[in-house]
Amino acid sequence: MAPSNAKRRKLEHVSSEDDDDDSFAGFSGSEEDSSETAQTSVTAESVGQNLAQGLGLDDGGIDEEPAENFGYSVHHEQAIFCASREKQALANGAAMTAQPKQIPVANKISCARSYESEKSKSGLFKLQVDDMLERVRPRQGKREAAAEAALHRLKQTIEQIAPRPAQSVADAERVLLKEKIVIPFPDPRPSKDVLYKLEYAKPANITVVGSHVLKVASAVRPLLQIDMVVQMPSQLLQSKDYLNYRFFYKRAYYLACVAAALSGAHGEEYSVSYSSMHDDALLPVIQVRPSISPSGVADKPAKANAWQIDIALSTADDVFSAEKLGMSKNCVRNNDEQTKAQDSATPLYNSSLRTCMLMKPYLVLQHKAASSCAAYRDACLMGGLWLDSRRLGSSISRGGFGNFEWGIVVALLLRGGGPNGKALLGPGYSSYQLFKATLQLLALQDLRKKPLVVGEAKLTLESSGSPVIWDAERSHNILYKMADWSYQALQSTAKRTLEALGDQRFDAFDSTFTTSVSSRLLDYDCLIELDHATLAKSATADRETSSPLLNDLYAMLRRGLGDRVEEADLHVPPTPDWSIGVARPMQSTGAVTVGLRVNQEHAHRLVDHGPSADNKTEAAAFRAFWGDKAELRRFKDGSILESLVWATEEAGQSVIEQICRHLLQKHFGAKVEGSVRFFDDDCSRLMRKANGNANFQPLMEAYKQLETDIRGLDALPLSIRQIMSADAQLRFSSIEAPSSTHGIKQSIPAAVNLQFEGSSRWPDDLVAVQRTKLAFLLKLSELMNDNVEEVKSRMGLENHGEDVLNQGFLDVTYNNGAAFRLRIHHEREQGMLERQMKLKDLDPKTKQISAIALASYKRDFVKGPAHTQAIAQLATRFPVFSGTVRLIKKWFASHLLSNHIPDDIIELFVARSFIQPYPWSVPSSMQTGFLRTLAWLAKWDWREEPLVVDMSGSGELKDVDYQAIRTRFEAWRKLDPALNRLVLFAASHVDHDGTTWTDGQPSKVVAGRMTALANAAMQAVEAHSIDLNPASLFVSPLEDYDFVLHLSPVAFRSRKKSSKGPVFKNLEVQTQADTSLVGFQPAQDFLAELQNLYGAAIVFFSGGAERKVIAGLWSPLTAPRAWKVNLQYATLPMKTDAEVLAEIDKQSILKEIARLGGNVVESVQINR
Amino acid sequence: MVPKKSPAVVTSVNDFTVLPLRVPGLPSYPKDTTHYLYLRPNAPKAPTADTPREVFLVNVPIDTTDVHLRSLFADQLGGARIESVAFEGARVGKGITSPVAPVRKKRKRGQEDGEGAAPAEVGQLPEVWDRDTHCSGGTAIVTFVDKPSAELALREARRAVKSGKQITWGEGVDGKVPALGLSRYAAHHKLRHPSHHALQESIDAYMTTFAAQEAARAKTLARQRAEPDEDGFITVVRGGRSDPAREDAVRLKEEELKKRQEKMIGEGFYKFQHRERKKREAQALVGQFEMDRRRVEEMRKRRGG
Repeated sequence: MAPSNAKRRKLEHVSSEDDDDDSFAGFSGSEEDSSETAQTSVTAESVGQNLAQGLGLDDGGIDEEPAENFGYSVHHEQAIFCASREKQALANGAAMTAQPKQIPVANKISCARSYESEKSKSGLFKLQVDDMLERVRPRQGKREAAAEAALHRLKQTIEQIAPRPAQSVADAERVLLKEKIVIPFPDPRPSKDVLYKLEYAKPANITVVGSHVLKVASAVRPLLQIDMVVQMPSQLLQSKDYLNYRFFYKRAYYLACVAAALSGAHGEEYSVSYSSMHDDALLPVIQVRPSISPSGVADKPAKANAWQIDIALSTADDVFSAEKLGMSKNCVRNNDEQTKAQDSATPLYNSSLRTCMLMKPYLVLQHKAASSCAAYRDACLMGGLWLDSRRLGSSISRGGFGNFEWGIVVALLLRGGGPNGKALLGPGYSSYQLFKATLQLLALQDLRKKPLVVGEAKLTLESSGSPVIWDAERSHNILYKMADWSYQALQSTAKRTLEALGDQRFDAFDSTFTTSVSSRLLDYDCLIELDHATLAKSATADRETSSPLLNDLYAMLRRGLGDRVEEADLHVPPTPDWSIGVARPMQSTGAVTVGLRVNQEHAHRLVDHGPSADNKTEAAAFRAFWGDKAELRRFKDGSILESLVWATEEAGQSVIEQICRHLLQKHFGAKVEGSVRFFDDDCSRLMRKANGNANFQPLMEAYKQLETDIRGLDALPLSIRQIMSADAQLRFSSIEAPSSTHGIKQSIPAAVNLQFEGSSRWPDDLVAVQRTKLAFLLKLSELMNDNVEEVKSRMGLENHGEDVLNQGFLDVTYNNGAAFRLRIHHEREQGMLERQMKLKDLDPKTKQISAIALASYKRDFVKGPAHTQAIAQLATRFPVFSGTVRLIKKWFASHLLSNHIPDDIIELFVARSFIQPYPWSVPSSMQTGFLRTLAWLAKWDWREEPLVVDMSGSGELKDVDYQAIRTRFEAWRKLDPALNRLVLFAASHVDHDGTTWTDGQPSKVVAGRMTALANAAMQAVEAHSIDLNPASLFVSPLEDYDFVLHLSPVAFRSRKKSSKGPVFKNLEVQTQADTSLVGFQPAQDFLAELQNLYGAAIVFFSGGAERKVIAGLWSPLTAPRAWKVNLQYATLPMKTDAEVLAEIDKQSILKEIARLGGNVVESVQINR
Repeated sequence: MVPKKSPAVVTSVNDFTVLPLRVPGLPSYPKDTTHYLYLRPNAPKAPTADTPREVFLVNVPIDTTDVHLRSLFADQLGGARIESVAFEGARVGKGITSPVAPVRKKRKRGQEDGEGAAPAEVGQLPEVWDRDTHCSGGTAIVTFVDKPSAELALREARRAVKSGKQITWGEGVDGKVPALGLSRYAAHHKLRHPSHHALQESIDAYMTTFAAQEAARAKTLARQRAEPDEDGFITVVRGGRSDPAREDAVRLKEEELKKRQEKMIGEGFYKFQHRERKKREAQALVGQFEMDRRRVEEMRKRRGG
């Protein structure tokens, strides 16, 4: 349900654009004006009276209500019911204010100033928010019209319901049952012998409340929801009705009567059902929706039909005394005299009742806020979008804090809540200020320990452990529906949003309002799913706290998991709506989901220490909680402690899973434990040796050894200035951890750069410089072999034939297996190359080679080492960073993209997820890091957005630099709008160019494939959620390619030998021990040669050692064309009518490839 | 993808003869295929004395060696004897280099003075492949021993096309050329790690020649500096090199000077400075605002489109 919902929202986003903007603007303008005029120019009372009479409303409650209130409520009723008339009358007078698009030039500076001022985060943010608000402001469309028409008719019907005389409960039920209506009594239902009677009389009044009438409901929501309130006449209620559910029984009967009338009158056009208001089982409401036409026009789920009217019942706000319904009062009395004293407070019951009494007062409050503070409505819209994107809502299943609560909180803060009872917010605040201040309140003040009181509190509030925002004037706790966990979730998401908003360099708009945080796999490190029904059966129902069962579950998990978990959140399935022929919803289906954010530092601890054995009471409690798992142990320091010992994780279950399973079994029974399902960082299991940086430690130590060894050579002709590592293996991020255990040599040597002190004796010629470097390496090799023990070094050549590029390297292999590839960095090469490129009479070929040489110089000797250092720092800063990078690299490799997307830029992708994690927090498991990076890749619009990551952690990238990078990006896009050369632009604090890794590759096709694959992965995640098989994200069909070369294992010299390994064990060790084979990668050589030979005709895809194939696509440039000599691929001369066409000779080419590969290629698979 | 002898394939195109070559199957690709080789007498824009005995080949298979071609013409096409084969050089970008008869590459800066061989010829680094490959669709020039041989070869090729005689690629070369596949890559791996001794020798040779060349050049430059040319002017040429360490020092000095100059006229000393600063700030603000607005506009367009 959840994912599809989110998707629809997105679609809606797009389609709403289609609406005619002008007409909408016109509507909103006149609407605004109409209300403004009415509120300011005429005194509320007289208007109220007039309109009330004009509408023929029942006057029953008028006298008791403050005139002001009445004026407001009626006015807005009128605004709804008579919208069209009002519009007609006022449309002419409504002058549109100048739109921001047409700002006069003279005003620009002041305009810009106001955008830059304190009132908003940044100019860009403000503009984006304005743009968004313009799109989401409520508008008058088809569905609004349809819904309002329905409102009229429903109202008429309800007004005409005949009164029903007072009857006993049994009689009332019987009569209604004849009409096939059941009274939705809450649990427990009234006993047969109650003396009071149930009665129906004409409603005191009918009002529309809620976000629709306040015009703070986002227009892009998929469902238009309108709340209609029918006020029960006070004469039906007695002053003691607030006790023992009596009010709720009467309310249920009244509701059933309304439902009976509605289904009788409108049963055909609308579907009428019961639902519970905000999942509160005490408060059933009637839900009216357009019925799906039987003709089955299902293909048009017409937007006009996407509305729903909830009919709730209210009472006058003074029928019961507010004091008696305070949070600490008990209203459900036991008849038994003995237990009476134990009656505990019933805050939820009391608050539910108060809700019924306060519907209208809260509408009034919000109206006052909207009229006194111009930005109030926008702040509500912003809050609504923020809550929506985080799937928070008013109903208990969505946390109990939604649009309504947001609006009330903002309105209350405009009146009080500050120090000395002053208002926390001022009416002159901008919408952004209101939004941010409210977030601050939610994020920074722990409302559980220190309740917020607005107004003069008549009663003292003792902190009860649940969050409280106490509206003293109306004696109501706004947050009464929130549980401990949902409050914590709200608080932490508010905190993260504030962080994002505070980050000056981060464009927080998307993460704040539009990124959907819905998928729980992305949100939590560990998901636990319990079957709700099984859980419910395991305990007795006791309806005081919202769900004591869940409270127990939560408390148990928090206690059991302790510091292993930073945050835990519970999600219950929402109560479904149910037929009016049934009293209660069907047994709740679905699952309770527990989401955990793990603290990696402690999560994997195998031994827990409990209290000391001497401390009898605590030890007993410990034993009671843990059962037979608790053991008494003596530790090294002599202490004897109660302790818990868990199995190692290699056995298959993580410690967290073991703990949860054990506790569930102990406290909830084996059935619950059997129904539980875990998704605990399952993605990380795909990685061998995933645990952190430890696997890289031997190599890092060897690197330090190398550094001391080289610096220890005193016979070098020049002294060493710097030794820098420039290799994925030396920054904790190669897919396979370099394992160099005894004698087995590392197969790929790690690149290291060596820089000497400057000297005037270097030659002034590029070619000669390269030779001199070789001479230095030879000397170094000689010295190493002579002076350092246990090391072998060997010269190697590269870039054959391109004699201005680096020509050689020195492979240094230690006897313990660590291998390094040394190159010499000569800092003057850059200047020489640049000078050469400036020469005017240079032939194009030399110029091009110089450009290539310059780029590779910068990449290998300047940016590479700096990047390596930055990434290595990140890996030590964030414990799961290394694992995430390796997992993402594995993903790219599995999809055969690793020869297109350079390692370095993949690392930047992941770094972004850690440095700009918003709207989430920094990933605390490989899984969340992996999935969030994919989620970002799926929606990264690389055509329009550069990737800029400041990995320094100390803000090294300044605003100016950001500007410069952006300018450079825009220049590139202007220069190469077709993206032929540069597709991905990725800059970091060590690389302001943004093109170092991506100049020339990947191509547009490949980048598009990357996005498509990431999208597919995200869809799978949304669709399967907890059922996701992580391995499925790493598979893509080979049928997508034109042909596939299956490579033989000999091409990889892989260490992980297959089952027949033991036979050749001795041989294997021999080859691995052979230093001469260090760096021998036939598959890589083969691929490089193929790319060199067929680069113009074929795009090759390879996944390195992850997937032993090379796949290829024929380039579209090889379509048949007139025959000529210089085509860059083998051809067939084909005869057509007029001329001879050259067609690419695919068979010959594949045969050539097979011949070239020889025994490297096992078979050639041709798909097309 | 059934290898079919399509009737649509022509026997000649422009003035090229199209010679079908049967390529036998392999374990990894069992089907026989046909490769089409295009031949014609060589006709460069600037003919040389050798041109008449040269044949121009187009679309040579990537693994062609001169052994392949020798065997092709000698054993399967009438027995014409080949003197040498020149393959098309590496292509760079879109520019296309015509194949040239094998002349040793000259170093660009190399000078033909009395000093002997240019450095490129003596100081070559060791080869790293035991067998070269050529770009797909590439060309080659085959030089026969004499003109009649070249003509014979072409005639035989035409006849073979007409008669439909089956000519097999790579017949009789086994054992004469290094094998492809893994063993070639292993050889490559071995070759790219040459013996230190050989490498040292090559570098020494290069550096000696390079030094000699530098000395000669310095001498020429010195001469130029000293002697007026025929118009009586003395050419200004770069003298000795400047030390990189000294270059650094000069740069530092310049920076320091600049800083001092800035310090001398402090910010906000004159009224106009203040005014200009204000103006700049305002402009930047407006510019930023305009840019942001454009970006948001673009975003909206993208969302809409």
